[in-house]
Amino acid sequence: MSESKIAIRVDDLTVAYNYKPVLWDIDLEVPEGVLMAIVGPNGAGKSTLIKSILGIIDPIAGSVSIYGKPYDKQRKLVAYVPQKGSVDWDFPTTALDVVMMGTYGKLGWIKRPGAKQKKAALEALEKVGMLPFKGRQISQLSGGQQQRVFLARALVQNAAIYFMDEPFQGVDATTEIAIINILKELRKAGKTVVVVHHDLQTVPEYFDWVTFLNVKKIATGPVKDIFNDDNLTKTYGINYKVAVNQ
Amino acid sequence: MDAQVEIQLIAAVVAIACAIPGVFLVLRKMALISDAISHSILPGIVIGFFITEDLNSPLLILLAALMGVITVVLVEAIQKTGLVKEDTAIGLVFPALFSIGVILIAKNANDVHLDVDAVLLGELAFAPFDRLIVSGTDIGPKSLWVMGAILLITIGMLFAFFKELKVSTFDAGLSAAMGFSPVVLHYGLMTVSSVTVVGAFEAVGAVLVVALMIAPAATAYLLTSDLKKMLVLSVIFGVFSAIAGYWVAHFLDASIAGSMTTVLGLVFLIVYLFAPNKGLIAVMYRQKQQRTEVSLLTFLLHLNNHEEKSERHVKHLNEHINWQKVRAKTVLDLAERNNLVRIDKNIVSLTTKGKEFTDLALEYIITNKDEKIEHMKDDFFLFRG
Repeated sequence: MSESKIAIRVDDLTVAYNYKPVLWDIDLEVPEGVLMAIVGPNGAGKSTLIKSILGIIDPIAGSVSIYGKPYDKQRKLVAYVPQKGSVDWDFPTTALDVVMMGTYGKLGWIKRPGAKQKKAALEALEKVGMLPFKGRQISQLSGGQQQRVFLARALVQNAAIYFMDEPFQGVDATTEIAIINILKELRKAGKTVVVVHHDLQTVPEYFDWVTFLNVKKIATGPVKDIFNDDNLTKTYGINYKVAVNQ
Repeated sequence: MDAQVEIQLIAAVVAIACAIPGVFLVLRKMALISDAISHSILPGIVIGFFITEDLNSPLLILLAALMGVITVVLVEAIQKTGLVKEDTAIGLVFPALFSIGVILIAKNANDVHLDVDAVLLGELAFAPFDRLIVSGTDIGPKSLWVMGAILLITIGMLFAFFKELKVSTFDAGLSAAMGFSPVVLHYGLMTVSSVTVVGAFEAVGAVLVVALMIAPAATAYLLTSDLKKMLVLSVIFGVFSAIAGYWVAHFLDASIAGSMTTVLGLVFLIVYLFAPNKGLIAVMYRQKQQRTEVSLLTFLLHLNNHEEKSERHVKHLNEHINWQKVRAKTVLDLAERNNLVRIDKNIVSLTTKGKEFTDLALEYIITNKDEKIEHMKDDFFLFRG
């Protein structure tokens, strides 16, 4: 690991909601080019970890760096896919328009997206197989299609690091396979992908890196080395087998 | 310009200036906040009026707009304690501030040309009397200039920050991650809304200003799935209701503000009933179609599952699917009309087309694979969205 670059470094990160810690003293190093799952029980702080790395939530202690610099200097290197349920899908907009939003970050304040951004958005829609639905109102899409649109929006950001909050939640099997194939492609292209993940069974199949989290960090490293009963028990308690078989 | 034209012009400018921030308030599910702002700016207006003696003074507008922003801050602070929900916090803050304003007016009623009626309903009819005089020349009613300036600022902000407003309204998380601070945009929108409310306040009062912000946006929302079109439609509805309301008031010799609000309500009602996709009638029609198609599919499935003739006899169908005779007959007719079934000596069987339809529909319901039924979407409600 020493020869590879560190994409994300988290030092002593502590986050609290109303003075109740949800993440406690997290240290984490994510090497460049891994496809990493963050796993842990409900309320373990998985989404909170991503959100505090991205500066959406202010930590009460600790720091985060992306390729050695604070996040706000490195925004353009990072793409983010929030949980599908965090937005209002009745918002008056189309699939294409949502993907276009992915280009806003690089444009910065005030500048408008133009033909170049539109072309990039159409290509991203094509990549996730959603081009035929580009003009459709987003509430008229199925759950899987909505998730693909979100993925396309991240792809159009053309980032070095991708954060995804439960991209497989509420999607059909076909979409799940389509998404994981795209994530594997990203890794092949040298990108770093961090995914909040719920389905423990698919961890060894989908990911090469894993972080166990339950308010505190339990373990992080290559799936083949650390995805074992010991860490699962430490993270989920003695009943983790129920979680695996869910 | 005669007073009639001036009043309509002021009403139209106010309507546009209100409709634009209104769209974002509606989409952010913050309609109630505009109600809170429109009331709690009152102490700002009263204090500003004591200082400047002029309802259209920029200082008064700034003071009052500041009260609007303070309202938002207070509501959020109370809500953050986690002891009460947002609507409760709103209900606590604005009456408190409004009543301070009311007391201030009552205490000074004798020296001040400002009364509670005017505050609630506005005095659009009197707006043309207050003229703006520049080096001896009358260049029009003051409130038209004030509202015009506010409108220009609003439009300028909308064009400059359209993309930022859109992304932070749709997805605050992404907006924050990209560096478009949702907090900054939120307070920007609140400031513009507050300034607009203050400017519109004198003309249309605290109650109508809420209607002008929320009703056009709510109406437009039912008609379009495009944010830009929603903005344009809101402006059109706002202006139409303002001018139509003026003429209703003119012929009925009634309150202008009241008539405008009534027209806004009527326009909303008409659109709510007749909007092509989201309207009540369209929705009911769609549900009826869907019910019919689910029945049709149930019926075809029954035929698919049963080889035995007794289960497929025309006369006994209703017993086997446990339907009323009329319903069974309607569905049977529908299936026959569409060549999905054929009837041979009173025994119903699926045609090839019917068999294909059933298989496809089943596969779609089980796998949710959209591409398979793409060609059916135009013909059957069941498979749309």
